Amino acid sequence: MDWSVLLSADVLGQMLFFATPLLLAALGEVITERSGVLNVAIEGLMALGASVGFLAAYLAASNGVGIGAAMAAGGLIGLLLAYGTISLQVSQLTLGLALHVLCVGLASLLYRLVVGLQFVPPQIQTFRGKGGDTLWQVLTGLPGPVYAVLLLAVVVHVIIFHTPVGLRLRACGENPRAADLLGVNVFRIRYLATVVGSMLIAAAGALLPMMLTATYSDRMIGGRGWIALMLVILGRWLPFRIVLGGWLFGYVEALQYRLGLQLVTVPPQFLLMLPYVFVILVAIRAYGGAAGPQALMRPYDREARG
Amino acid sequence: MPSLTETSGRGAGPSFGAEPPFVHAQGISKRFGAIQALDGVNFEVARGEIHVVLGENGAGKTSLMSVLTGLYQADAGEILVDGRPVRITSPADALRLGIAMVPQHVELVNNLTVWENVILGREQGGLFLRRDHQRQQVAELAQRYDLPIDPDAVVASLAAGQKQKVEILKMLHRQARLLILDEPTTYLTPQEVDSLFGTLTSLVQRGMTVILVTHKLRDALRIGNRLTVMRGGRVVAAGVPASETDELQLVRWLIGGQDETGQLLEAEPLPPLGSEAAPVLQVENLSVQVPGRVALRDISLTVRAGEIVGLAGVAGSGQRELAEALVGLLPTAGGRVLLNGTDITAWPVAHRLDAGLACIPEDRLREGILPSMPIVETFVLGLHRYLFPDGRYRIGKALEAANRVIDEYKVKTPHAWFPTAALSGGNVQKVIVGRAVQMCSYHRHPALVAMNPTRGLDVRTVRDVHHRLRQVASQGGAVLLVSEDLDELMGNCHRIAVIYQGRVDAVFDGPDYDRYQIGEYMLGRHEREAG
Repeated sequence: MDWSVLLSADVLGQMLFFATPLLLAALGEVITERSGVLNVAIEGLMALGASVGFLAAYLAASNGVGIGAAMAAGGLIGLLLAYGTISLQVSQLTLGLALHVLCVGLASLLYRLVVGLQFVPPQIQTFRGKGGDTLWQVLTGLPGPVYAVLLLAVVVHVIIFHTPVGLRLRACGENPRAADLLGVNVFRIRYLATVVGSMLIAAAGALLPMMLTATYSDRMIGGRGWIALMLVILGRWLPFRIVLGGWLFGYVEALQYRLGLQLVTVPPQFLLMLPYVFVILVAIRAYGGAAGPQALMRPYDREARG
Repeated sequence: MPSLTETSGRGAGPSFGAEPPFVHAQGISKRFGAIQALDGVNFEVARGEIHVVLGENGAGKTSLMSVLTGLYQADAGEILVDGRPVRITSPADALRLGIAMVPQHVELVNNLTVWENVILGREQGGLFLRRDHQRQQVAELAQRYDLPIDPDAVVASLAAGQKQKVEILKMLHRQARLLILDEPTTYLTPQEVDSLFGTLTSLVQRGMTVILVTHKLRDALRIGNRLTVMRGGRVVAAGVPASETDELQLVRWLIGGQDETGQLLEAEPLPPLGSEAAPVLQVENLSVQVPGRVALRDISLTVRAGEIVGLAGVAGSGQRELAEALVGLLPTAGGRVLLNGTDITAWPVAHRLDAGLACIPEDRLREGILPSMPIVETFVLGLHRYLFPDGRYRIGKALEAANRVIDEYKVKTPHAWFPTAALSGGNVQKVIVGRAVQMCSYHRHPALVAMNPTRGLDVRTVRDVHHRLRQVASQGGAVLLVSEDLDELMGNCHRIAVIYQGRVDAVFDGPDYDRYQIGEYMLGRHEREAG
């Protein structure tokens, strides 16, 4: 086969394209985790975002409305997660997983309620780019969300590291008591981070039908939420490194489709497996010595003794 | 309120006369579940003084300070600042009134730099952090108050004494008028204590008011203008001028009883050491290298039968690594460990225990006990190898052994089936010490590694623990006592080794130690002078 395909303009363009939903979800997650809350409902939130986003976009015939609706739904679930983990101090893992399951079911239910069973599933308009042949044309001709999310990564970086809010956010995730003693409202910061993060994650889910499939189907998230969760660790909680990690996964995903066309002798199921094998390989490397925010997963109790 | 009668006659010193006290807490009560942490406490501080609040662990000192700084909400009582009643519902409220606390375990954000820690929560102006400007401000503040700290240093890299100064800097940046320091000297070397007290004195000269919470009599009498003593959630002596009291009087207030106070002050003599006592625990050129932990380099140390050897050092100098390497939790990179002449360097933990090595772990709740399981099971864990040599778990036998220790050590518990973590810290420690001592009792020359065995305990339990260590030594055992509290080591050890950055460069012979000389080695100053 022709190995130049590995670096062709096509594959590189698709790398950026496929990385986009992953990146958006990972950016939402990193905001939340930096405040000390681990959002493990991420996969479910993306499913809910995909369903609500698709339905709203379908009914309003506007992807913007779809994304907005997905963010609203994600924000509500985020509020629930925040209330449980911050105010009631429930285990973040337990509640997160419960909400994940709830969201997956809810996503499926909502779709059935609105669309019902149809022989030909309804479709929405996907985001389209101009496309092109040369590398430059491909890279500048991608759909809008690709660039919007990269811009967002810059914004998130600036917020986390160059603004007072970001300083407080990092402090809450590292040592909430220290922050509290200095008059930082730990509860407010964590609520805010959890809700905003959940909104971005749901929006990432909505991007899937709007960029890839044009239709909704259950299980369409296919583990992308978990990959995003891992991207945060791989990227060491730094937005720019998360972008690099996201591209890595985008590349593997793009390659998977390309190789499917090129290597007909290899069973497609094996190629579909590639990103997940990659996750495992990267995870083994990335977990070694990764130190997240020190107060991650630890509820803050002001009257805790000793 | 009977608690006030002892001192009401003396009142405040002449300089604290007519104007209302700066901060006045009246009738403060606070309850945590079954524990009455504060019981109708009255407390006042005058402007411009260093007021020491003295009390045992659990006397309510920290709770009272937490009420003043808004961390706890009092169930009853009132706080007046400059004679006006105020409501303090959060640390932010307290800061607005100029009340700031430097907590016992310094609360800094480790991954941030000094200047970021200082400005956190009070970043001032604008959408963005103005790095250069704010760093400059912090540097100037540090200079003005003579606190030599690099504003760009990452907090995690600072020594304990420096971290404390960052805390003080933080509060100065917030224009604190009343600085509360909770047990500030616990983990400091003598040199660092001097430096801290110098800083506090100079702050007070510039108009600051300081509350110093401590259980150390020496510190209290050395720096305090007035003292308030607490016991069992009440104030037993309020605002006594330091010049009008002495250590014996303070201990009476602290402990309550009259009969044993003299005893508690006086150090129990160390068991005498035969000159040809055989070495029990020998460490020869031990090196340990584990990523992410302090590397031990070429450590040699001998503890003989009947001897208690102290290991002094600033927290994080490798004490923990040494203890874990001795017990067999960390692999060694070089050198040997011998127990009664047998090379145990490569032995797994279980074999070492069988050979007569016992350990009192550092973090009693996390490493020492089975929190939700009954005391009896926490107790037999490890002892099972001696109690049930045939491998059959006979609960009757376990219960008998546990009850014996509960009686002998006066562990306060309803019964041996009580969940271990429901005991108070002192009682948990008694169970752990009892277990270690019993393990030692099965051997002629056991070695006991005790990691900070008295941290956070009250005077009586501390004394109990020390007594047990001596008992192990006097029966032929070798004790390695690791502690960050130099006073504890000087009072209990035949010799003191000092560890600094994973090396032991000096061993001092007791009983007459030079605290400053040991301090120099703890801080690694001997190196800088030599090279």
